[in-house]
This record gives sequence, C-alpha cells and structure tokens, in this order.
Amino acid sequence: MAESPTDVLLKGDSGRNTRGLLRFIILATIAAAAVSSRLFSVIRFESIIHEFDPWFNFRATKYLVQNGFYSFWDWFDDRTWHPLGRVTGGTLYPGLMVTSGVIYHVLRFLTFPVDIRNICVLLAPGFSGLTALAMYFLTCEVSPSPSAGLLAAAFMGIVPGYISRSVAGSYDNEAIAIFLLVFTFFLWIKAIKNGSIMWGALAALFYGYMVSAWGGYVFITNLIPLHVFVLLCMGRYSSRVYISYTTWYALGTLASMQIPFVGFLPIRNSDHMSALGVFGLLQLVAFADFVRGFVPGKHFQRLLTTMVILVFGIAFLGLVLLSVSGVIAPWSGRFYSLWDTGYAKIHIPIIASVSEHQPTAWPAFFFDLNFLIWLFPAGVYMCFRDLKDEHVFVIIYSVLASYFAGVMVRLMLTLTPIVCVASALALSSILDTYVFASNGPNPRSKANDDTPSEGLRSARKPEVGITSYLSKAFMLTSVVIYLILFVAHCTWVTSNAYSSPSVVLASRMPDGSQHIIDDYREAYYWLRQNTEHNAKIMSWWDYGYQIGGMADRPTLVDNNTWNNTHIATVGKAMSSREEVSYPILRQHDVDYVLVVFGGLLGYSGDDINKFLWMVRIAEGIWPDEVSERDYFTARGEYRVDDGATPTMRNSLMYKMSYYNYNSLFQPGQAVDRVRGTKLPMEGPQLSTLEEAFTSENWIIRIYKVKDLDNLGRDHGNAMAFDKGHKRKRATKRKGPRVLRTE
Amino acid sequence: MKLLSLFVSFICIIPIAFCSVPDTEKFERYHSLSRVAPIELDDSSYEDITAKPREYHIAVLLTAAEARYGCILCREFQPEWELIARSWNKGSKPNGLRMLFATLDFSNGKGTFQKLMLQTAPVLLVFPPTIGPFAKVDDAPLRFDFSGPISADQLYTWINRHLPEGPKPPLVRPINYMRIVSVVTILMAAITLFTILSPYILPIVRNRNLWAAFSLIAILLFTSGHMFNHIRKVPYVAGDGKGGISYFAGGFSNQFGMETQIIAAIYAVLSFATIALAMKVPRIADTKAQQVAVVIWGSVLLGMYSFLLNVFKVKNGGYPFFLPPF
Repeated sequence: MAESPTDVLLKGDSGRNTRGLLRFIILATIAAAAVSSRLFSVIRFESIIHEFDPWFNFRATKYLVQNGFYSFWDWFDDRTWHPLGRVTGGTLYPGLMVTSGVIYHVLRFLTFPVDIRNICVLLAPGFSGLTALAMYFLTCEVSPSPSAGLLAAAFMGIVPGYISRSVAGSYDNEAIAIFLLVFTFFLWIKAIKNGSIMWGALAALFYGYMVSAWGGYVFITNLIPLHVFVLLCMGRYSSRVYISYTTWYALGTLASMQIPFVGFLPIRNSDHMSALGVFGLLQLVAFADFVRGFVPGKHFQRLLTTMVILVFGIAFLGLVLLSVSGVIAPWSGRFYSLWDTGYAKIHIPIIASVSEHQPTAWPAFFFDLNFLIWLFPAGVYMCFRDLKDEHVFVIIYSVLASYFAGVMVRLMLTLTPIVCVASALALSSILDTYVFASNGPNPRSKANDDTPSEGLRSARKPEVGITSYLSKAFMLTSVVIYLILFVAHCTWVTSNAYSSPSVVLASRMPDGSQHIIDDYREAYYWLRQNTEHNAKIMSWWDYGYQIGGMADRPTLVDNNTWNNTHIATVGKAMSSREEVSYPILRQHDVDYVLVVFGGLLGYSGDDINKFLWMVRIAEGIWPDEVSERDYFTARGEYRVDDGATPTMRNSLMYKMSYYNYNSLFQPGQAVDRVRGTKLPMEGPQLSTLEEAFTSENWIIRIYKVKDLDNLGRDHGNAMAFDKGHKRKRATKRKGPRVLRTE
Repeated sequence: MKLLSLFVSFICIIPIAFCSVPDTEKFERYHSLSRVAPIELDDSSYEDITAKPREYHIAVLLTAAEARYGCILCREFQPEWELIARSWNKGSKPNGLRMLFATLDFSNGKGTFQKLMLQTAPVLLVFPPTIGPFAKVDDAPLRFDFSGPISADQLYTWINRHLPEGPKPPLVRPINYMRIVSVVTILMAAITLFTILSPYILPIVRNRNLWAAFSLIAILLFTSGHMFNHIRKVPYVAGDGKGGISYFAGGFSNQFGMETQIIAAIYAVLSFATIALAMKVPRIADTKAQQVAVVIWGSVLLGMYSFLLNVFKVKNGGYPFFLPPF
C-alpha cells in the first residue's frame, strides 16, 4: 500500500495526536451545536424564563444570590401557600440554584457584569454541551469502536427528547440533572470495570450532586443495585463488584442524606430499600466467597450457597414486614404509580392531573427520537454479543427506561440517554463495517470478534467483511441520508414544538408575519402595578409560581403540590356556588381571583378545560359537597352552552370565565372557540366578585373580591337593590357586620 | 332532687318505649332472619321493612343478579355487598346504632322496581330512621347510583358518611386460606421442579438468545405505546364511518390497539434489517450472495422507514419530511 500524506497523519504517534485533536474538535463542535440549537427561543423572543416551575427556581435563585447561602438554607417563604407558608429551604432540591449561584459569583469575581437572569436562562443549554461530553465518555466505556462515542455525543446533543427539557429559559431541575445522570452512570461503569475505590467514590460524589438536583435520583438509586443484583444472579461476583458497589452505596447514601429534603429517606423509605437489600446481599456473597477459598468440598459449598439464599430470604421477609408494619414508609405515590398504573387516578388525582404524567402514545416516541427509535433495539441486541458487565447495564437500563417512558411522558427524558448509547452502538457497527476502504474485515472491529461458543446466533460464523464497493456505497449513502433527515427532523421539532416560552404565545397574522400574544405578562404586570404588595391572589395551582415570580404577590397554592387539602380548598371555591365560595375566599384573605380563559382566542390550555380536575380534587376531600357527576349532563357530556347543568352554570369558575363575554358579540352570537359551542343568551351574573382586569385577548381575567356589604345585606340582595329590583321578602337584620360561614 | 331526675327520665322513657316496642321487635325479627348475610327481600317484606316508623337504618341493594338479566355489574358487585353486610354484622356495633342490610332482587320485586321507576340496576337505597336518637327530619332514602365497577371499600365509606358520627366496624376482607395454601404449594412445587430439572432448565435460562429476544420484545412493546393502550383502554380498531376499518387513529396523542402492533412490527423489521446489515451480512462468505443481501436488506430498510415516515405524517399533519417510495 502506498504511503499517502493522510497515512502519515493517521498512523503511529503523530496519528494518535491527530486523532486526539480531531476528536477534541469534533466534540467541541458537537457541544457548540447542542448549545446553539437550544437558542431558538432567545433569538425569536427574548431572554426569558419559560413555563411554570422555572419561575420558582428563578425566584429561589434570586433569593440565594441576594441573601446568601445560609439564609437560603433556612428560607421560610410566607408569600406562598397563604396562610400556611412554606419551609422552602427544607423542601426543595437546591442543586440547581446553588449551581447558578456559584457560576454567578465566579463570573462576578472575574469581573463579568452578568445578570443572574441570563445565567438562569442559559444554564440548560450550557449543561447540554456537558451532557454531550459525558455521553461520549459513557459510550466509549461501553463500545470499543472509537466512532460510537462521537456518534452518541452528537445524538445526545440534538435529540429532541432531551431538547424538550433543556432549551434556553427552561430553568428546571432536569437542566442539570440529565448531565449528572449520564456522568454518574459513566463513573459507575468505570468503577465496576476497574474495581476502583476512586471511581466508586467519584460516582458517589456525583450521585450526591444528583440527589441535590432532582427527585429523579431514585432512578439511579434503583438502577445501580439492580445492575449489581443481575450480575450476582449471572454468577459474576468479583471483588470489582464488591469494591465499587460498597464504596458507592456507603458514600452515596451519606452524601444524599446531607440534603434536608431527603434527610433520612434513604433508610426509611421503600424507594431506597433495594439499594440497602443489595448491599446486604453483597456482604453475604462476599463472605461466602471468602469462606469458599478455605474449605474445599462440594457439599460444603452447596450448604454455603443455601445459607446465603436463606439469609437473604429471611432479610427480605424482614424488610417486607417492616414496611407492612409502617416502620419503613411505603412507596411514595409518584413512584408507586409507575408500577400500578391505575393507582394515581383513584387515589392521588393531583398526580394524575399533571399533563406530563400521562402515558405516552407512539407518535411521541418517534417525535422525540426519530430514527434512533428503531436503531435502539438493534443496539441493545448488539450488547448481547459481548455481554460484559457494562453491556448488562445498558440492557437493564434500556428495558426499564422504555417501560417508564411508556407509562409517563415525562420520563422520556431518562430514556433518551440510553437510546443514544444503544443506537450509536448500532450505527457505529454499521459504519465500521461499511466505511473501511479495502476489502476484508475491519481490523479495528476484529478485537471484539473472538466470540465465545455460546454467543449470539447471528455472530457464530467468522466475519469476512464487505467485499464489493457497490454495497459499501449503497449503504453509506442511505446512512448519510438517514442522518441528514435526523438532523433536519431535530431542527424542525426544536424550532416548532419546543421553543415557545409558553408565557408568551406566538401566532401568525394572515400576511404571514408573527404576532405575539403577551396576555400573561400583561396581566401579571397589571397585578404588580395596581395591587397592594400583600394582596393575596387565588388561582389554580398551575399559575402559582408565575404569579409569585412575575407579579410578586402572595398566592394560595402553587406548583409545589405538597398540600392536597389546600389545593382542594381552592378547587372547592372554584367549583361551588358563589354563596359557598365567598366565605372560603374571605377566610383565606383572598383579594383577587385569577382565571385563564381561552374561549376568545381558541387557547385550549385554559381553566374550563382543567376544571374537571379541580372538581375531582375537591371531591376527594369533600365528597358530600362537590360531586363530579353534577358537572356532566344526563347524557354524560361536559357542556358549557345552553345544555350545561345548573351546577356547572352556577360554579364560580364558569361565571368568572364567561362573565360579560356576551358583550363582545351580537346578542345571542357569543361563541366559545375552544369548546366550539354557542353560549347561552344570558351571561352569568356575579354578585360577590367584580371584574378588575381582563387582558387584551381575554386569556387572563382577574376579579376583585368584594368587601362585606356596608348595610349588612348579602351581596345578592345588594346587587338586586342596585339594579332596582324589589326585594322579595323583607328581612330585618341588625347588628355588626359579620362574616357568614357555613 | 334525685327522685325528680329519676321521674323525669321515666317520663322520657315511657313514650319511647311505647312506640319502639313493635319496632324493636321488627328489627330483631328481620335481624334474626339472617345474622350475617344481607336479608333477601320480596315486594311485601320490602314494604314492611321500610315502613314508617322505623328505628333503624336500612340499606337495600336493588339488583338483578340472575344471569338472564345480563347485568354484569350486579353479579360482580354481589360478593362485595355480602362482604359489607358481613363486616357490619360481625363487627362490634357502637352506641346502639342499628342497621340492616338487605337485597331485593328484580325477580322477587318487580313491583318495587316499577314503583320506584328504576330503569337501571344496581341501585342502593339507604333509609334513615324516623324515630329514635338517630332520626332524621328528612326521611327520604339516600340513593347511590352505580356509574361503574366499584369496590366494597368505596361504597362502605359512602354509607359511613351518611350514618351518624361515631366509630363503625371496619371493613374486613376474609383471609383467603385456600389461596395462601395454593400459592405456597405451587411455589414449593416450582422450587422442587427447578431443583430436579436444573440440568435441563439451566441451559435455557442461561441462553443468551432467549434473553435477547425477551429484551427486544419488551422494548418494542413499550416504545410502540403498549402501556398507553393498557392505561387508556383504547379500542383495538375502529370503523371509518364508510364501512371500512381505519387502522390509524386521528390525532397526535391518540392510537388504536392494532395501530401500535403495526408500529411495533415496523420497528422490528427496521431493527432486524439493521442487525442483519451489521452482523449477518459481513459473515456471508460468497461475494454475490453478500451483494444481494446488502441490496435486499438496504431496500427493506429504506422502504420501511419511508412507510413509517408516511404513517407519522398522517398522525402529525404539518410534518414536512418524507422519503421517496411512499
């Protein structure tokens, strides 16, 4: 073979350097692509925090930066959950805020005059670059092929399943958690491959960081023990497994207990018991293994094995008994509802009501993963070829995560990394086979070809390689086409589906120009400018964080749904008659009530569509007073027009949504564009509330709660009097103004 | 003073005693009919048992449990209803709260069904007492409509809510000894069988191909939306309104059972084509055969992927991408 200039660069010592440089450049480019594809929303709109939860995280970060770490740790927030307040410092995962706080202070120290908001907005894209890097490391540990790591990093950088939670402005826990997840798994694989305490300790360290950042750490807490357990079942116990697992478990549990929100959960909660159980089992197996070295004799060894199984069984029974008797807390609701899929809907409607807790239909998988979804099973199959310890990990992770992703849309996020790993394995093995220029097998992939006798059916014969250039050209062209299609798909999805801040809605004018619907911010600013600093705002919990963050007003309930009763109280106030709701509003010092109404614009995420969940949650606490059945017509329809049930039409939510809506239309022509129905001739009448503000497109409507009547009448009578109606029956009532309660 | 209070209490007791004597007898009479299970009623005894004055609560389940009425809900609920009655009758009844549980089947009580104008079964009626310490002013029976399958616990909490305050006997599900014994037996049999047959079973358990097949099937099932079907209970297929069958549901977050199977099959074909191209084809020694294999598998890949994109375009209207054949 003739020496060509490229050969000089690609072979020997200088070859290694060139490849290293190339790899570095490629990774840097991937990171840049990952960051820049997440900036659509900043370029199109502005540097703004998205969605709901990020507003709370942003508010908490501002508090941290202004008041310092210790006061953040002890933060009691009296501006949420009025009148209860929230021990915020002890009930959040502080990892995200602390990370941005550290970045902020470092940049300030380096004299960059940077605003904390910009750090928060750009944190997620920044960490996505790191995730791509971590992905490269992880895949390189799993596959001997050098191209697999780079492919995986590229996939991870732009796959929509991850972008959906990490565009600029989505300042949520997942923004850093996915990086930590992938990196912890990389360190774990490294630890189990080398049997090294250092890597195990590093894995524990990053696991601790992960615990501080996201509730999804339970996934790691269960996946790593499961990996070890499967390895033990396969008879693969070794000192490597022992060292890495015990190091990780001991240090990781201690680290996780430093977070106030987690506290003693690792030893008191069923979610964490598998880790503890496997830790115990591993000690037994290690002991048996140790004894076995001294005593030969087949019978004795069999006895030993039986002993191990017996002790493990007894310990397992003990754990079960402890959880039945209540010493160990049962599975937490969210986690349990993954296994018993009907559980949440019956027992915890508040969990079932969240849209990201719905099951996933197949188009969502294809939408988020494109062609990786069918490369994924192929990659998992290829893991069975070598079936080393790390491949076992990939297989377990794949099966488990695809189950979780099928049950809950939100968990697509945990599936995405392993899909990238597996499909990179599959694609790199195709590329390695078909790209290699000369005929015969690729010498680089030769290394893993010494297949054991009981390998996979498809890998029994020796590999000969691809002989014709035509096949190579054909395959390469199609792979390149698929890859281009993938990139186009990712860009399209990111730009169309995942880049709108949801606080600001974009629409197209008839001439094609963009029209921005900014009702949310308009309304929140109205609250900020026109209400007292301590005016209490009641709304459904979805908007709690935004009101707290943008309007800076106390709220009754927010997206941290820790107190079901309080949320049900709001649900009851919204779904009852005015006479019932008014005392509730007065008792909770409510000054303003905020509802979201999409009827004019056709905005489907409004409160009337969420209304049934409010009813259900209220019914869970007050089954006598609120009944879901009353909101459906006799034929079981949910209607808002003439056919709506009296309960529906008298509910506060209905009244607030459609109050005065008739006046926009010709008489009798009022139309709700979301439900697509004509509304009744007579609009609803409100007596205890008065309209305070309605935004430009009527998306947000704010009502002021009236004070008690000066003459001691109830509001219905007062309204009737003002309108000039005659009082029907004279009632004499004297005495001081009293709050009527029931 | 003491005498006076005694006298007053006497005065109080006398009228109660007078009118409750026949009533207490009625309660005892019916209660003795069936000490544990719900009382079986017919038209006349229904009239009698619910007649005023009554000094006890009575819960009547109006049902149609016989097979010829085809009421599945009634038959399913029957054991649960007996469970409620048994738990109540066996439990310790607090502070003199008296309650009867009764069943009126449609075959015995057509007249009552007509009189109450009942179109559906089962229906539960709870009559409050009209006299005595727990009497209610409004003596109309409370009605519970069954909107779907319901467990004894849910109904029992509903009943308890409408009874006076105070402790109530808990709902006790009998321990199914049969089941425990059979589970233990089966478990032990399985262990024994496994120990004896281990030389034959172990190679199967350790078979890599088998595990690979299991994992792949699981992954394909889950990623094609099987859990969605399971949770949402979607129909298998639906008509398209023109007498044909529509295989694909309209809308992005909607699907049919058959649709997911088609998708799983597409994914499977695509994956196996990939596996074949990456692992099988390089092992074919014959040049010609290899060439043909590459072209065939490559075309399968292209065709299937193009079909998948086409299907996806149907589900998601504005999707701009496609591949040539479809």
